[in-house]
Amino acid sequence: MKRIVLLAATLALVLPALSSDEGAVKKRRPLPYEYGRVVLNSYSEKSALAPVVFDHWRHRAKFSCRVCHVDIGFAMKAGATGINAADNIRGYYCGTCHNGKSVFDGKTLFQSCSKTLTDEDRMRCERCHSYGQTDRGDADFLRFAQALPRERFGNGLDWQQAEELGIIHPADFVPGISIKRKSLTIQQDFALSPKLQGMPDIIFSHKKHTVWNGCELCHPEIFVGVKRGTTRYSMVGIFEGKYCGVCHNTVAFPLTDCQRCHSKPMQAEAKE
Amino acid sequence: MKQAILLFAIVIAAVSLGAGQNAPPANSSGTSVEEWQKQFDEVCSKTQDAMTISIEELKSLIQKCDALEPQIQKLEETRKKVYQRRLGQCRGLYAYVLESKEKDKK
Repeated sequence: MKRIVLLAATLALVLPALSSDEGAVKKRRPLPYEYGRVVLNSYSEKSALAPVVFDHWRHRAKFSCRVCHVDIGFAMKAGATGINAADNIRGYYCGTCHNGKSVFDGKTLFQSCSKTLTDEDRMRCERCHSYGQTDRGDADFLRFAQALPRERFGNGLDWQQAEELGIIHPADFVPGISIKRKSLTIQQDFALSPKLQGMPDIIFSHKKHTVWNGCELCHPEIFVGVKRGTTRYSMVGIFEGKYCGVCHNTVAFPLTDCQRCHSKPMQAEAKE
Repeated sequence: MKQAILLFAIVIAAVSLGAGQNAPPANSSGTSVEEWQKQFDEVCSKTQDAMTISIEELKSLIQKCDALEPQIQKLEETRKKVYQRRLGQCRGLYAYVLESKEKDKK
């Protein structure tokens, strides 16, 4: 009888773990140069090309998030834009800048897609359609990261400090695409109290976020609730990629860097 | 001679029409801006200070966004995809701020 009870208890513990994909597979933590990598395969393999590898770090040093995700129109979820070669050839999405004509930092940007396919074109295609091929990211990233301040997680870089120190200058305007806007009216920072007792409050800085994102990138697409306190955020939801998790776990510093959000100093407990 | 001039004119006209079809939008660079795009730029240039805009002005901006929607629907595939998203984000923000302000008023 004891054996049957023991077996039933073991099965009860093991079966749910086996039936759940999340329980069975442990995700590998991305290496610094892989963090923020997006693989796009809406049409690539169907067109006998390798999927596109997009590394955020290559672009975020040069442009604000808003330039690409508001002005150029890239969706916030990988694959949701449904970019195809025709879009790029027409001069939109990647083709907005990668058109073989635009000049950035004194270099002409390569054309992202074209109707012809010569050997030379194929080499150009492989600059983006590179999934599963030799990864140049590691060496390029090490070279790029040398001058930037370090952080513990994600890319291992403190992007915010890098901008404050003037090491990177993300442009917030692309001629012909961006709208000339007035300078931003910064909203006040506010504190959010976590559910877990003993965890420091979260200080949300509008300033830090709006500098790179503007307002319309987050509201209402990511943060729908208009009144503070009406949306109940949870770390489970955030880890699943909702709310802060849309960026913080994919591109911006990851959720494992707790103290960067839970940053309000704890008050010393009153002595009895 | 007349025929040659006529042919030349037709070719020039056809080439310019073809080039215009695939041309990326030109707004802030100041060349060949279409009327709907001028309106789009004007309406969506105020997202930066949406919180300081009055309720009445927000309502008017939302109406202007709605009026732009049918014009964007007529654009070619890619351009439509891009500007639908851009207009959606811009309108969404104004509606979001409006709702917030109206709740504060109550």
